[in-house]
Parts: sequence; structure tokens; C-alpha cells
Amino acid sequence: MIDAQKTIVVTGIGVVSPYGVGLSRLQAGMLAGECCLTPATELYPGFHGTVATINALPAFAEEHRYSRTDRLAMAAARDAVADVNCDTLRESGIVMASTVAGLTEIDPEISRGPAAWYRNGGLARAASYPVSRVAASVGEHLEIQGPACAVSVACASGAIAVALGANMLLDGAVPIVLAGGSDALCPFTLSGFNSLQALDPEPCRPFDQNRNGLNIGEGAAVLVLETLAHAKQRDARILAVLRGWAMTNDASHPTAPQKDGIGLAACIQRALEMASCNVDEVGYVNAHGTGTPLNDIAETHAYERAFHGRRRPIPVSSTKSYFGHCLGAAGALEAAITITAIQAGALYPTLRLTDPIESDQVDWLRGELRRQPLPMAMSVSAGFGGSNAALVFGSHRA
Amino acid sequence: MNMNLPVITGIGSVTPYGPLGGLISAAPLQPGAITDWTTSGLRRAFLVEPFHPAGIVPGVKTRRLDRLSAWALVAASLALQDAGVDLSVMDRSRIAVFLASGLGCVELTEAFYQSAATNGWAGTDPITFPETLGNSPASHVALFHDLRGPNVTVSSKNFAAESALLQAASLLRHGQADLAIVLAGDTLTQAVYEWYEVADLLAPACFNNEPVTSADGFIPGEGMVAMVLESAIRPAAHPYAALGSGRWAAGGDARASVRQLLGDDLPDFTICTGTGAPCASSLPARDLVSEDSLIYPAQAVAAGMGDAGGLLHLLLALSNRPGRGKALLLGRSAHGGYVALRLELF
Repeated sequence: MIDAQKTIVVTGIGVVSPYGVGLSRLQAGMLAGECCLTPATELYPGFHGTVATINALPAFAEEHRYSRTDRLAMAAARDAVADVNCDTLRESGIVMASTVAGLTEIDPEISRGPAAWYRNGGLARAASYPVSRVAASVGEHLEIQGPACAVSVACASGAIAVALGANMLLDGAVPIVLAGGSDALCPFTLSGFNSLQALDPEPCRPFDQNRNGLNIGEGAAVLVLETLAHAKQRDARILAVLRGWAMTNDASHPTAPQKDGIGLAACIQRALEMASCNVDEVGYVNAHGTGTPLNDIAETHAYERAFHGRRRPIPVSSTKSYFGHCLGAAGALEAAITITAIQAGALYPTLRLTDPIESDQVDWLRGELRRQPLPMAMSVSAGFGGSNAALVFGSHRA
Repeated sequence: MNMNLPVITGIGSVTPYGPLGGLISAAPLQPGAITDWTTSGLRRAFLVEPFHPAGIVPGVKTRRLDRLSAWALVAASLALQDAGVDLSVMDRSRIAVFLASGLGCVELTEAFYQSAATNGWAGTDPITFPETLGNSPASHVALFHDLRGPNVTVSSKNFAAESALLQAASLLRHGQADLAIVLAGDTLTQAVYEWYEVADLLAPACFNNEPVTSADGFIPGEGMVAMVLESAIRPAAHPYAALGSGRWAAGGDARASVRQLLGDDLPDFTICTGTGAPCASSLPARDLVSEDSLIYPAQAVAAGMGDAGGLLHLLLALSNRPGRGKALLLGRSAHGGYVALRLELF
């Protein structure tokens, strides 16, 4: 028996990605196997790498008040609520993830004399630095007055925002939650990952034995979440059911994932428990799949552990191979992609996966797009600091 | 007492009062003169005096960490100690860490910018970069204590600490953890202080040696407070307070919302929180609570911590509470946001 007050559904999705604004553009691009990763040298002197950028970001009033990350978030949120005709939207909660936030607006000159940098035009730019500004900007833009919270849990942020948003609904604190993530490309993060030698100068190859690192992308995604009862009351179009969610920490290393994937596997198992489903019911996993040597092997072990006992290997792909790793936005974007996979019955292959990590328990999706009914799928995220998050989505019809 | 409410069973802090476990018994503090960087004349703030973390938490290594991470490690350890929690007998996969911060690891972020200014973006420091991430303090707490439950870092304009407390309580209520360490803090740096100064946000007391009262406006501060939140009272625990229902919002009708939250069950003690505006006059609190209710004003040292000051407001109020009874943590921002959280004090 479904408890409509405790069942969380997705009734809107907004996306800004290198494919453009809107989920349909993202989905069309991915169904066509189009890769948005391109060579870049202009991001800072000495950088030679591969990134995915958004070329046409919509304009906003008083644009100088907002960072690029804010604007991506605002555009995605506007897209998400475009079809939400609801008089309680004003009281909605907002949970937005970001790791970059307003770092896009600050340059190294600040370190030579902060006060002078502020007086020379940096004051407003620095005002967009706090990560809370991403959530507040969405609220300002959409005139939403409910609780607004930002999440910063490295690359698991976007998925954790969705989980916290769902908790907010279980609490009955708000009628609707806009949950998602946003991050823009900026020299700070590119330089940081480059210093760690984590970037692949060529388009990344997640889960390939010859993988060589990640590519950074930019984007934003926002999911409109509400209880099934609220959605039915307003006759909303239900896109998917958020069946389960979980968060864990490896408590193993500041940056590297736990080699055997125990923490991530525990996260997946908890999410499955919450979803009340067994390992055979999950038809697809949208993986974290960064393309770094350490992440991908740890993640493979996590799938082997969490899905042990399945009748067939678990189908897994990394859609970061299409438009890179969007950091704080990744979990939300991949949640959106997972929902499109369920809706279209389309299992996206990992691009450029020619020589996959050996595993008899993982069905690496590669080559052609696979079409099959998909009642339930999972999106998995992980990040620096050992954080893991898993979201289980199901078809509303299932 | 409602046995189903999450309870605060342990407190640790690293604040201008120093690193402490439990309540703070010291008298109100005055801000100190800034000496860590060159200022044009006297500049004052509520600063944490340097201390040796390993002297308080044996085995902790903080040399390469942002001060925010070091303080999180110390405050969390002191809070666990104060709670009398024996981690060795607990399921650590059921222990969450929930951190609130307004600015995150701003010290090492500035250091990273410094390395970019000196060496160019192609010559930045790989050791520093991961420590600039906002979730570093919470992940260090998890790593040091082997805590494998949810590990979340949040921020919220004006009410980051309060939102973390509410969301951590939500995790416990929904059975996603049995215990949560809730932390809230920020560090003060030259770049942060000068931003406040250029934006003309500093109180006059930042520029003179006059004694400061709670209503003197914004004097920047720093620190970290940790509270252990448990889903049920352990037999050996000495709980400080139970958390009831609460709400926070970026705008809307605060008065109506708080009235709805309280119903006829009015608090005996109202604790003002926020970044400086005294809630008793700005909400106002006086006509939302009983005539006999005591109002504990927002304290300058906690208001100075900005968005992350809520736990210090609460800690100072718990340290000065009149006794057992019903309380309300109440705050209003200059932009119309508000927070209200019911508490039962033990």
C-alpha cells in the first residue's frame, strides 16, 4: 500500500547543459551519441585540456549581481518550474548544490590586497562567493520564499541535495522542493584538478582499462519534488518516483575513494532498502564514473559488492563521457538523465569504452544505445572527502 | 518530555572563549585588536586565540588543514567527550556529520589564490586544493572518528547553523542516522574582514576600544561549535535540550508562521539568533511569547560568526538559561528571512 504522503515524486526537471537549455536537448543529444567535450587552451595560460562548456546562457536582469554558477542555477530552476502551475510554489523549499559557486567571479589579484580589489569593482563579485548565494539566487529569481539551503559535499553534492530535499518533504516542512545543483567552469577548479594530475587531456574514457582521468564540464539541473499526495491534489504530471535515497561516508581518505568500495556499496544497499526493492529490480545504474584510475576501480568493486547475487550482471554506464564532470551539478544532472532513461527505456552507453575493467558482475554499457523497458534505475555519486550518495528512481507506472 | 524528540547530549566549541567542552561559563567577551595582518588603524573582531589541537585531541594532525577543519576536529571531539559517547560500541555507519558554514575553508582558498597569483594557474599547490573544498572539515571529522554515516555540509543565508540543526534532526527522525554531530563555524581572514569594511557593514565598535553590548551591531568573529544530537536519550546521557519542531524561510509572514508553530504552547525562554538584529524588536518576539517569558538577546560574539553563528547563540543561551522549561530559538534577518525552533530545556 503506497503512502501518498510519504512517497516522493518528480514533477519537473530543468536542465542547462552543454547541449543547451532544457531536458529535451540533453536527451536528444545523448540519444544521438553526441559528445560535447572539446579541446580548450584559453581557460588560463598553460592549460591544454578537454572541457565541455555552455555557450549560450540566457540573460538575466541585474546580471552583475550573480555569478555564472548562480545564473546556471537560475536558468535550470526557471526551466524546471516552467510547467509547474501551482499556487504553493512561492512557499517551496530550495536545496541547491555547488562546489564552485562564486569562485568564478574572483581572480588571484585579490590576494595582493583584498580591500583594493574590492574597491576596484570586486565588491559585488565577491558577494557572490558564498555557496548559499546559489540557493538564494534561485529564490530571488523565482520569488520563492521558503527555506533555501545550499549543499557543498564535493562531487556528491547534487545527489545529496535531492536527498535532503526529499527529507524536507517527509518532514512536511514545505509543499514542494526545488532540488539540484549548479557549477560553472572556472580556472580555480581546473587548476586544482590539474595540479592533482586528475585531468585527461583527451576526452575521458570512464571504466576503460586505459582511462586517464576526468574532464570538467559545467551545467545545472533542478528537480521539482513533491509528495505524491500533493502532486495528485494539483493534478501534476508525474515524471518519476524517487523510491529511495541514501548517504554514507567512506571515512577512509581525504581524497581517494575506498579501494574496495565498501562505503559506496553500503550506500547503494541502504538506498535499495529504502526503495524496498531487491538487486534484480534495478535495470540500470548511472554511475559516478569519472574516468580516474582510482574512482572507477573502487566503484566497480562497489557494484560487485552491492549487487552480489543478481541473476544477471548489472548494466552500468557513465554519462560523464558525454559532457564531462559537472562537479556539484553532476549528481543532479545524472538524476535527470536517469529519469529520462526510465521514461524512454533507453540505457545510455559509455562513450569511448573499448576495453572495460574486467568484471563478471557488471554489464558495461557501450557501443550502441540499448533499448529496453526500465521500471527502476539508480544514480550513484561520490566525492572528495569520502561522501557517497545513491538515488533510486522508478517509473510512476511501475 | 517527549521521548521521540532528538536531544542535544554533548557540546564542544572552539570560539573566542577558547576550546571548551560543555557549557561556557565565562562572562561576555570584548573583541580584540587584529594583529594577524596590517590594518590602517585599530580594527577589532572576536578572534580565536591560537592553540595546539593535538594538545586537546591526542593524535589529531592539523598542520596542513584549514583552521576551520582543525576547529571542527577539536569541537567534534570535545562534544563527543562531553556526551560520554563510547564510539567503540556504536554502529559508526549510523553516525552522521552535519556541518554548516557561511564561507567554508576560506583560509586555504585564499592561499590557493595566492599560489595562483605567484606561480600562475599552472603552478598551484596540489596539497592545498582538496582542503579548499567546503566539505573538508566534515570529512576530516568522519575520517578521524571513522564515522561512516551521512556526511553533509550546508549553507543558508543568515541561518546556516539553524538549518543544519533542523536537517540533522530530520535525518534522525527518519531513521537515516542514530546520532549526528552538528557543527557550525567560520574563520575570519583579512579578505573577509576587508570585504565587510569596504561594504560598510562594520559596527563603530570595530574601530574603537569602547565596551561592546549585544546591540552594538556587527563585529566580525570566528569559531566553531559542535553539538551531539541523538535520536533517543541513552541511560548515561545528560541531555541539555530536546529539539521540537521548527521552520525557517527566506521570506514570508514570519509572525503568522511562528504563531502557527507555537499554537497555545508558549515558551518560557526565547533565544534570539541571527546576525545581529535583536529578534525581540525586529520580529517582534515580545508579542509572540508570554509576558513572563525571558528573552535572551543575540550576543555580539555569536552574531559576528554570521550565517554560522546559530549554534553559538544557542550554546550561550543554554549556558545562561534560567532553568528547565520550554524555549524558542528565534531569528529574523534584515532581508525578511526567519527561523524558529522549539526546544525543551533540561
